[in-house]
Amino acid sequence: MKPALFALWAALLLSAAQAQSSLKFSEMYSKVTVRGIEFSPKLQGMSGKSVSMVGFMAPPLKPKLDFFVLTKAPMSSCPFCSTVADWPPDIVLVIMPDGKLLDPSTGALKVTGRLEYGIKKDDQTGFVSLVRLYADKVENQ
Amino acid sequence: MKTPSLVKASLLLGTLLALSSAAAAEVKIYPYSGAHVLAGQKFDLRVEVSGVAAGAEASVMLDGKPVAGLIKTNSAADTVEYTLRGVSLLAGSHTVTVTGAATGQATMIAEAPATVAQAKKVILFIGDGMGWNTVRAAELVAHGYNPDNGMPLGRLEMETGLSGLATVTNSSYDSFLTDSANTASSIATGQKVLVNALSVYPDNTKDSLDNPRIETIAEILKRSKNMGIGLVSTAFGTDATPAAFAAHTRLRGDYSAVADQYFKGSAKPDVLLFGGSNDFISQTVPGSRRKDATNWIDDSQKMGFTFVSSRAELMKANTTKLFGLFNLSNFNSYLDRVQFKDPSVLGDFKDQPYLWDMTQKAVETLDKNPNGFFLMVEGGMIDKFEHPLDWQRGVWDVLEMDKAVAWAKDYQKTHPDTLVLVTADHAHSISTYAGYDHTKGPGNRDAVLVYQDGKFPTYSDKKDVNGIPMVTPTRGLAVGFAGVPDYCETFTARPIYKDPTISDGSGGYAPNPDICKEEGAYFRTGNLPRNTNQGVHSADPVPLFSFGPGAQNFVGMMDQTDIFFAIAKAMGVDATKDAGK
Repeated sequence: MKPALFALWAALLLSAAQAQSSLKFSEMYSKVTVRGIEFSPKLQGMSGKSVSMVGFMAPPLKPKLDFFVLTKAPMSSCPFCSTVADWPPDIVLVIMPDGKLLDPSTGALKVTGRLEYGIKKDDQTGFVSLVRLYADKVENQ
Repeated sequence: MKTPSLVKASLLLGTLLALSSAAAAEVKIYPYSGAHVLAGQKFDLRVEVSGVAAGAEASVMLDGKPVAGLIKTNSAADTVEYTLRGVSLLAGSHTVTVTGAATGQATMIAEAPATVAQAKKVILFIGDGMGWNTVRAAELVAHGYNPDNGMPLGRLEMETGLSGLATVTNSSYDSFLTDSANTASSIATGQKVLVNALSVYPDNTKDSLDNPRIETIAEILKRSKNMGIGLVSTAFGTDATPAAFAAHTRLRGDYSAVADQYFKGSAKPDVLLFGGSNDFISQTVPGSRRKDATNWIDDSQKMGFTFVSSRAELMKANTTKLFGLFNLSNFNSYLDRVQFKDPSVLGDFKDQPYLWDMTQKAVETLDKNPNGFFLMVEGGMIDKFEHPLDWQRGVWDVLEMDKAVAWAKDYQKTHPDTLVLVTADHAHSISTYAGYDHTKGPGNRDAVLVYQDGKFPTYSDKKDVNGIPMVTPTRGLAVGFAGVPDYCETFTARPIYKDPTISDGSGGYAPNPDICKEEGAYFRTGNLPRNTNQGVHSADPVPLFSFGPGAQNFVGMMDQTDIFFAIAKAMGVDATKDAGK
């Protein structure tokens, strides 16, 4: 195989792999009713796999972050700070790797990490999450 | 009615006597000195003595006689408290005197029972955050003026055919400013209540659910007349305004407890139609906000409620007990449901009822009770969009509520024993200060038209399926807020809602960059503290429009607590009576 062709083939493979492992906020749930939320087959199929999502950091709790909430759009309400915040269901809890702390930021972020879903309560904050990313990488978009 | 000089005198007396007690010791008495209650209205009497030696005792006298049945507690080493729940008073002035470890005194007035019922049914509309200026902006959008002669083309339904008109001012127990919890509580109980509290007095314990409770108008009408009770809101179901009528907690954020009290408390509403379901479903279901496995959708049906979750189901319901939830959280705004209709915004909630549908179905259901009814209908999303400075979404929700008022006025005409009230819990610092020429694009300061350049708005040129003007005029309004964070202004409604600010990463808030990069958006420096992410309630007055018998009780300048007593008078409430069911 000629080197140029190989590079093209590799790039195609790479982009296909990336497309497969990226998840949009609109793809998280198949159904939202007054009786609750159903996780989409796509999200369920990604459980335990490396997934990338693009979103925004919700108002953070601390100056250095070992976790934060990723939202579809930039938001001003903070899930941890206010008991009366109207919090949308389509949010993702991002957990940073042990010992790695993140600075708060306001621009769009691309988070790549292992996806986990299901109801889980954080013992420290009492925050209940439905979808989590155990991040390997957080990049500015 | 109230006698202000007596109130002042008793307040002064209470303060002086409290001051004269031991230096560090302090006595607090609830109901607070100067409180007005209805004769027979139940409340929890609580006396808290602090700054005293361990083991200290106090005696509590009502009108010179020892109060029997007091429960003594010590919530801290240097405090002693005495509580008696479910107390009521006969008409007249009453004094609670505390002696012993410390001394204090509070005088309260119990208003005499009404002798005549002017109305048998009341429909109370509360536009959350709908101050006078919000109503005026809605009127300008809905009707405006004839450009040929400058004559007004009409007013809102809530403003026409009035039997009574009042301007209402509000305040809290702990501030001249308010939130939706204490304001609704003042309407519901006639008391001044702490910010964030629902129909309770303060206390010195951490538990938010043990505060001294005050019986609400809904609870009184259920107990004394066995009337039907209905609560309707476009906000999530446990939000402050409906909650104040049927729940009691120091913290409005006790959502699960509020949901439980709807079904287990003493108001026992027969009709509950709300937005958000997330406090009524089990914690085992994704989307729930509960901390237990209670599922009120299922449990309510075991109690005889018919449950509905779409407009189609609602309109078909024929029952005496009706429970409806139409979204996981708040309703989408009227503009999102009817004019923008973005699928990514509405999601699976494509059949949310209108507020007028909910009003009609609530009345039809409650009307099966021959004793009459009390129905509270909240336009709950007006405030929720004024906060983030999205005046269009807020004002169009006023227009939705106005159509519900129109339905209620028609009902009133054929059911003349009905009193219809339309008011607000508090205002926002909103103002219509100019016109805006939308042909010159969004965010264009030079398209803001002042004085005669403003001419007349053209919203009515295009109307939606419900006859409500489209939000896309050529000549519109320039509307703003006096108290704002730093944000970017565009003067134009956006099809997908955006928060005005985002976190700046260090405890403050910055303008939302997604808005600031929109065409024409320009930066406006805020005047609120930097840790404030949105607009806030104002101390501005709110209207009260009334229709039908008893409306004469709602005239002139009123304090918000007066609304409770005026409703009681109109409905012929004798709270000393017990319907016995």
